Amino acid sequence: MTLGLWLERIGRTLRERLYGLFYGLGYFFNVLKESILFFKRRQVGFRVLVMQILFTGYEALRISAVLALAIGVAINLIGSSLLAGFGQGKLMYTLLIIVITRELGPLLTAFIVIARSGTAIATELGGMVVAHEIEAYVAVGVNPITYLAAPRVLGVVISMMVLTVYFNVFGLFGSFAVMQLLKPVAFQEYMKNLVEVLTVGDLLLGLVKSLVFGVIISVVSTYRGFAVERSTTEVPVAGIRAVGTSFILCIVADAALTAVLYLG
Amino acid sequence: MKFRIKYADRIVGLFVVLAAVLLCVSVVVLGGNQRWFARNYHFTSRFASGGGIAPGTAINMKGFQVGKIERITLNADNEVDVDFVIYDTYLEKAKHNSILELVTSPIGLGSQLLFHPGKGEARLEEGAFVPTADSPEGQALLEQELVDIPPKDDTITRLLANVNPLLENVNKTVVTVNRTLTEVNRALAGQSSGPLGQIVGDAADTMAGVEALVVGVKDQAQSVVAKADDLVSSINRITLNLEATTEALRDPTGLVPKLLDPKGSIKTILDDKNALYNSLIGSLAETQKTLRNIQSMTTTLNAQMPTIAATLEETRTAIGKAQDVLEGLKNNPLLRGGIPERRDQAPVYQSLRDAEL
Repeated sequence: MTLGLWLERIGRTLRERLYGLFYGLGYFFNVLKESILFFKRRQVGFRVLVMQILFTGYEALRISAVLALAIGVAINLIGSSLLAGFGQGKLMYTLLIIVITRELGPLLTAFIVIARSGTAIATELGGMVVAHEIEAYVAVGVNPITYLAAPRVLGVVISMMVLTVYFNVFGLFGSFAVMQLLKPVAFQEYMKNLVEVLTVGDLLLGLVKSLVFGVIISVVSTYRGFAVERSTTEVPVAGIRAVGTSFILCIVADAALTAVLYLG
Repeated sequence: MKFRIKYADRIVGLFVVLAAVLLCVSVVVLGGNQRWFARNYHFTSRFASGGGIAPGTAINMKGFQVGKIERITLNADNEVDVDFVIYDTYLEKAKHNSILELVTSPIGLGSQLLFHPGKGEARLEEGAFVPTADSPEGQALLEQELVDIPPKDDTITRLLANVNPLLENVNKTVVTVNRTLTEVNRALAGQSSGPLGQIVGDAADTMAGVEALVVGVKDQAQSVVAKADDLVSSINRITLNLEATTEALRDPTGLVPKLLDPKGSIKTILDDKNALYNSLIGSLAETQKTLRNIQSMTTTLNAQMPTIAATLEETRTAIGKAQDVLEGLKNNPLLRGGIPERRDQAPVYQSLRDAEL
């Protein structure tokens, strides 16, 4: 390979990456704009939004609740045995807030949504592309982003935030109920200690993270779905890519938000 | 059609609304806990430094948070003005003469701002100035016992708080030892005018005085002994005479019969125109004079005895101090073992008069 060909390949790759980046940014802002305007045009795809919330939020509630209960019980057990052994039993509540409300709650919810809904959205939209449904929407003057992407984005974002609230409820209070079977603690004492540590800022941080994660998951999934071109074999690949990209971006965003919180 | 598809709208509505209600309840409960709906009363204070305090720092009293710092600013006098609030639930505790105390953990466990309520009856007006414990105002309130600072209940803090005075005492002791050693060295070099130098000088003077006194006493004692020898010689002679007289009296053919003989010596003596009598009177007068001399000598000795005793006592004290100094010097420079405690032997008697001879 000559130097000229090598340079040409690098230049082409760079150009394609830059094009893909700007295309993705353009897609992101377009989806964001259509999502904001969605409620103004509520006749468009409202049913899609409801079904998306039903699928992404309501149907994921069970697994989210089990996960929250398990983590909450584990932290309660650690706090009531290990931490109490060091005379730091009250740190259990701080640990509970950090893990359930601030850090793991939104992130685990995001993983659940990625695994369930991210792949589903990507493969569904990919299948629609392969079946030329998107072309049909465009042909009849329906913007596929407005009708297909925006309700899914909103559905995933709303579901994420709602699931995070339930994750907190099950993680903080459901685990208390389970703990009564293993190691009873007075409810008033538990609530008093928990409320002393828990702040509105913790709740808001969890919600902000879930909002960001929801946007990431939905935009990446719809983007990957629309990126399918013509073959059905591209559909599962789109799903896999949607999961991989969403995972990475969610973790990076979580680290960035945590850094902003603790360094800011 | 599946149930959840048929009633999707209701399920989603309930799902979202319930989450919204839970969130709102949580926010209200936490807001109440964070005193969003309660009134705070503002006060001011002034600290020498902003170290250990920051906006949001809790103000505690007896382990309860009664308020918090809202704002700190560095003023024109390079002091830190502090605006803080007391919660309405603890406003009754904010009495006149209250003070703030910043307690910093000596083992690096952070600091704590404590509120000590004054003993005044009246409540602090909002916006009033509350001095800190280390400020002159706070010190004045503490000295006047208008406010109490309870002892810290943290054992480590209490222990470490006691370490500082101990270290200061040790430091002072080391400084004092250094000064003493310096003084001792200077005194021994004859350069000091201080107490130790005076002691050494006094000891030297005393020793010289003792030597002179001993010489004087020796002279006086020699003269007294010489006089006593003369006296003893006289007494011996008298005793010999008395023995001879006694022997003579025992002999029937001796002196007494002769004396008793009407023609003997008695008569001769009685008829000697008082010559013998006068001679006896003279002898008695001489004897009386000798006894007076002995009495005056004894009186002189008695008068000198307290002086001698005091001199000997001073000598003993000086020698004891000299022993201490020498012992300290022996242990110098590290003061190994220091100057041992010496137990003084109480004198058996103060003067010859007290002695049971």
